[in-house]
Amino acid sequence: MTGTAGHQTVTPGRGRRRTVHLERWLPYAFVALPFGYLVLFMFWPLTDQMLMSFADTKLMNPNAGKFIGLDNYRRLVADPQFYTTLRITIVYTVLAVLFGVGLGVIAAFAIDRPFRGRAAVRAVLLFGWAVPGVAAALIWLWIFNLPSGVLNDITQAMGLGRLRWTNSLGLALPSILIVTVWQVSPFVMLVVLAALQSVPEEVREAARIDGADALNVFRNVTLPHILPTLQLVSLLIAVWSIRRFDVIYLLTGGGPIGSTSTLVVELRQTAFEDFNLGMASAYGAVGLVLALLVALVHFLFERHRARVMSR
Amino acid sequence: MPHIEFRKVAKSFGHNTVIGGFDASVEDGEFLVLLGPSGCGKSTLLRMIAGLTEISGGSLLFDGHVANDWTPHQRGVAFVFQSYALYPHMTVRGNIAFPLVMDRFRKWHHIPVVNAIQRWRAMRDPELAASVERIARQLELEPLLDRRPASLSGGQRQRVALARSLVRNPSLYLLDEPLSNLDAKLRTQMRSEISTLHREVGKTFIYVTHDQVEAMTMATRIIVMNHGEIQQVDTPDGIYDQPANTFVARFVGAPPMNLIPVRLAEGSRLEVGASLAWTHAGPLPAAPAAILGVRPEKLRLFSGTGGMIAAQVIVIERLGAETVVGCRLDDRPAGDHGLNTDDLVFVRIAGHPGLHHGDACSLSYAVEDAAWFDSASGRRLEAGPVRHNPVA
Repeated sequence: MTGTAGHQTVTPGRGRRRTVHLERWLPYAFVALPFGYLVLFMFWPLTDQMLMSFADTKLMNPNAGKFIGLDNYRRLVADPQFYTTLRITIVYTVLAVLFGVGLGVIAAFAIDRPFRGRAAVRAVLLFGWAVPGVAAALIWLWIFNLPSGVLNDITQAMGLGRLRWTNSLGLALPSILIVTVWQVSPFVMLVVLAALQSVPEEVREAARIDGADALNVFRNVTLPHILPTLQLVSLLIAVWSIRRFDVIYLLTGGGPIGSTSTLVVELRQTAFEDFNLGMASAYGAVGLVLALLVALVHFLFERHRARVMSR
Repeated sequence: MPHIEFRKVAKSFGHNTVIGGFDASVEDGEFLVLLGPSGCGKSTLLRMIAGLTEISGGSLLFDGHVANDWTPHQRGVAFVFQSYALYPHMTVRGNIAFPLVMDRFRKWHHIPVVNAIQRWRAMRDPELAASVERIARQLELEPLLDRRPASLSGGQRQRVALARSLVRNPSLYLLDEPLSNLDAKLRTQMRSEISTLHREVGKTFIYVTHDQVEAMTMATRIIVMNHGEIQQVDTPDGIYDQPANTFVARFVGAPPMNLIPVRLAEGSRLEVGASLAWTHAGPLPAAPAAILGVRPEKLRLFSGTGGMIAAQVIVIERLGAETVVGCRLDDRPAGDHGLNTDDLVFVRIAGHPGLHHGDACSLSYAVEDAAWFDSASGRRLEAGPVRHNPVA
């Protein structure tokens, strides 16, 4: 009897211990899967790439690279082409953010108020965002085409003649910017439109009662409300612009004479035409630092706003 | 202070008429409450006064001038929203000062840098700062001036909204259910604060609510609305004691006025259902049937058969100092014990009646406390002299 009683008291104890055990380890099991994914597909390649930037790895024999310290970076900062590439990347990124966000915001305001055919206009405006990069590049190659492109038909009708959009020094960067803005502004429009529609109507009305005209309502109510959204889309477009490859490579290939060669295009050139994986990794590291700097600025703004708003 | 007059003011949304032909006037310095159930058009009316909603028909007059097309700012009104509508990115000081900053704004200040400088200068203007400080002191907001709305409680936000409306010293205050987002205790406190504020500033307040307690405690005059139409315009006492129709009688008062459909029979006898009758020794309306209305506190409750109307206790609600007893009149066939509370007659008495659910009881009332309504239209009927003959 005593033994049975002892057995009966032990069984629930074991069950409870098993439950406690499970409760302790189950969260780790859930986290393990995404953590494994991040390690396998992000941290490991990133670390490998960073390590490769300190080695003289060649494409012909990728496993035979020797550690050379900061030599790749020394060569990079000594190369005038690197500064050109960096400048082009920054100019391209800044202009893509300015025009992409600007046009997207204007489009969002245009379709914020209800009008007949709004759904159709919105669908047409979204086209650029829905089209894959390669298809967008091909569409615009036709549009930019020297003998038969529609854009050249227009410039000719305006008396400007037929222009070499993608292979002239002055127009190559604007050309890829046009395509980039065409691609990203619908995304901005969608996100900003959602933010605009969440502005409380009563706050706008309160401002009107307080004597604000339309511009003051925008400046004092609408803009502060959509500012975090604008900041976020600016961050996204900046990061996407730093790493954009398809459109630039297909439209200009980085030319003419490197005038559209951004860090990513230069990275491909170094890795697959100069076969220098170590140097290409150094380019990748610079791109990563650039993207991290943009993210850092966004983070600092966000932290500042959160502090101010909670006061 | 503007004298406001509505002349056949109407509002339609497409084919849906929300307000049809509203005629009323608002006197200087009064606290007018627009009272009615949700969807009766009271907020729409307030928004039309503010210029936030277009008027579909009729005229709205400010001091005799048609103001239908005036901008909200031109009307010189203050509006307190149900959701407070504070500017979330501005401090309490910025929120209160905003109307004054806008008053100092000129068209050319729209130039970006000029705009920032103008704003900066306006906020440092000693006159503006003094106005903000004075209002903040009046509403006990001084310690909160540098905080943002997100870090304030509901009551504090409500006070900031009031302060923002007060700072420009407008002549007309429009308040759209400003207390409905507050808890019961805070609502009671804010109710008395708004009443005090009205007395202090001495301006005209138009206050929209569906809460009859707010209306009764704050108003100098009440407009009861239903389906976009005025049901009654009167003082709180007039609304309560002399309801114009059964809607007002049922809408104002908790529990509402008891409405008992009766037949007027020979010898001032009132009959209900098949088996219940009593003598009403007072004035009666000249109709074969009518609705008898008696407020719950005007009914007397007897255990047993001491009263003139036989009933049975169905519901007892203890409210502390008083008790509300729901009784069913003994006009039902035997064995009918339905739970429907719509036809209960409520009695409000002090203390505890010593009765229990199911007990037999009886009710009585003073004839001068009876109100009469038309059975078909629900309109109030004037009772004639005491009759001793049946109505044909």
